[in-house]
Amino acid sequence: MATRFEFLLLGENEPFLRAAGEDVIREIQRIEDTFSFYRQQSTLSRLNAKACNEAVPVNAEVFTFLQKVAELSRKTDGAFDPTVGPLMKAWGFTGKTGIKPDDGQIRQILEHTGMRHVLLDEKKRTVRFVRSGVLLDPGAVGKGYALDEAARLLQEMGVKHALIHGGTSSVKAWGDSPEGNGWQVAVRHPESVESDEVKLLKVIRLRNEAMSVSTVWGKTFEVEGKILGHVIDPGKGQPAEGALLTVCTGKSAMTADACSTAMLVLANKSGSVIDRIPGITGFFIILNNKDIVDRLP
Amino acid sequence: MSEKWNNKIEKKSGMNRLEFLKTFSLATLAPIVSGQKVHGKAMEKATSVRYSSLNSSSDQVNIGIIGFGERGREIASTLERNEKARIAGVCDTFSIMRTRAERSYPDVKTFADYRQMLDDSDIPTVIIATPTHKHREVALDALDAGKHVYCEAPMASTIEDAKAIARAAREASGQIFQVGQQYRINPQHRDVFSFIRSGATGRITSIRSQWHNKTSWRRASAASERETELNWRLDHNVSLGLAGEIGLHHIDLASWYLNERPSAIYGFGQLQYWRDNREVPDNIQLNVEFPGGVHLTTICSLTTSFDGRYDMFYGSDSTILLRDKQAWMFKEVDAPMLGWEVYARRDRFHQETGIALVANATQLEAQGDDPYADDPNVESPLYYALDAFLDNYNFGPFPAVVGYQQGFDATVFSAKANEAIKSRTLQTIGEDLYDID
Repeated sequence: MATRFEFLLLGENEPFLRAAGEDVIREIQRIEDTFSFYRQQSTLSRLNAKACNEAVPVNAEVFTFLQKVAELSRKTDGAFDPTVGPLMKAWGFTGKTGIKPDDGQIRQILEHTGMRHVLLDEKKRTVRFVRSGVLLDPGAVGKGYALDEAARLLQEMGVKHALIHGGTSSVKAWGDSPEGNGWQVAVRHPESVESDEVKLLKVIRLRNEAMSVSTVWGKTFEVEGKILGHVIDPGKGQPAEGALLTVCTGKSAMTADACSTAMLVLANKSGSVIDRIPGITGFFIILNNKDIVDRLP
Repeated sequence: MSEKWNNKIEKKSGMNRLEFLKTFSLATLAPIVSGQKVHGKAMEKATSVRYSSLNSSSDQVNIGIIGFGERGREIASTLERNEKARIAGVCDTFSIMRTRAERSYPDVKTFADYRQMLDDSDIPTVIIATPTHKHREVALDALDAGKHVYCEAPMASTIEDAKAIARAAREASGQIFQVGQQYRINPQHRDVFSFIRSGATGRITSIRSQWHNKTSWRRASAASERETELNWRLDHNVSLGLAGEIGLHHIDLASWYLNERPSAIYGFGQLQYWRDNREVPDNIQLNVEFPGGVHLTTICSLTTSFDGRYDMFYGSDSTILLRDKQAWMFKEVDAPMLGWEVYARRDRFHQETGIALVANATQLEAQGDDPYADDPNVESPLYYALDAFLDNYNFGPFPAVVGYQQGFDATVFSAKANEAIKSRTLQTIGEDLYDID
């Protein structure tokens, strides 16, 4: 995740809230240690290193998480795909320079892209990659998962009103802000992202729900005169071009994260896919042609 | 050590170590590996529980964790990475913690009362991760039940409790009793130990240790009763404060490297920032004297994270800095050449140059490996401490690397350190105080 998490915890007992926040920050650090794609000692890294050769036993937390990841990938028709790491690398998004891989290279990588190559054996609680070259990087839903876990723990500890976010793109809120009636969050307009003037695209009121925002311009490269965003269309092996920005709200931050990522790929076909996903309460898309799809409540 | 014994066993019998353990009786094995005979009732208990575990469907060691707070959970996630271990039981008085354990480990047995876990013959080994002042009761019962015990440090919160535990552990000579003073087992600290003991630093003249971590040290719970129980660290009636929870490890490291136990301690403590009705200081400074004349100065703070944690051993020829997972040597200009340092990597620290200390650097280079590359396999000190416990179970019992005497010593000097802070008086520690009889 390598991102900043911030918690706004509302209540009267400040030492208790501080202690609860510290507890959960430690929990998020533990989640990062388990699921980080970049830390060589993480469970995920060990899995990526071994699962091509053998069925790797994992603990219940990791298995349940991967089951959810697989389900989200299936329900989004593969538009959210945690196995696109090798494609990201081929396009240079894991480094500093963009490269356009040739069609043959893309075809070759696509052969080992997709959750269908990841076998989850529920009985033995093992994970196995059926092809070599498969790499799991569920980073797109990592912040959401951490927020869902953080919210569960904070609520268990008795925190009744809170807004928590990871890197400002994934947010979860419950209870009320000091003004009451849930928590108000705003999405900045793409046109004002790099300017001093703040222009708001949308103001959303979260009532016991999560919100996720995805954009193509998090990391971009100019290749052959074309600006390419860092989100890969797993079906084509090319950077997604149908949408510029997506917002998704729902009960689970992890599901919202997966959907906002998937919508960048699905673009104007998002509606029929996202409608099938339980717990999603609304979405918003700015398509590549600047058209807006607004299905937020 | 485990590899060595593994090889010996395989050479001897052509079997792997677990097959060996299953085939031979423990009474035969113990003299081979430890050179000492082990008899008695406790031995019989230990033998019977050991076999019931190894004859189960798994060849992993069944472990029970008593106390599933933050430390207990860290122990559990560390054990998960070790294929020799299986988390078989978790005990916590708080139902939310038991639910958390069940969520993480669906096959685990959970217990609200540790005595029920001790009655379970499928669990031959237990790890005590309860609040420190509860260690005595749990450790005595666990040893009496014939369990092999890993007890978190400090071993106890009073000298009297530590003495009772140490005596019981001594009596239970056929059972492993290991204390969580984990630096003594950590490979990095052991490497530096060899540099210091071989004289590479010249005469050690002073030591400085620091632990800075801005945190409230408070734990939160929805239930106020549980919250009071969880925040035992902040209660000066039962807690040794920063001196016991943190300073202990600094003093223990110095004591191990110098091969001396502290003879006097002076200390200060202040409650500077976390004014939330707690009584234990959030900043302490200790000055610890060793019989050879060396002094350790250690500072522990809950109010700043700046400059983190380190241990510095100042010698007449060079100073060694231990920080995170690395160590460096800073040589004096008149220090003799040691030879190997000519080829070693050097790192700049402001106006100083540190020679990176890496064990077997020359050998690694000869094998074509970069000795200075970050080793992805380096684990936490806790991992190595638990691994030693598991190896002792599989091959032992040997006297534990950190046994009841080291645990007792550490309780003595950390209790004295805390007393020095509370009373603002110099605490002298005669050698007789380290005697458990």
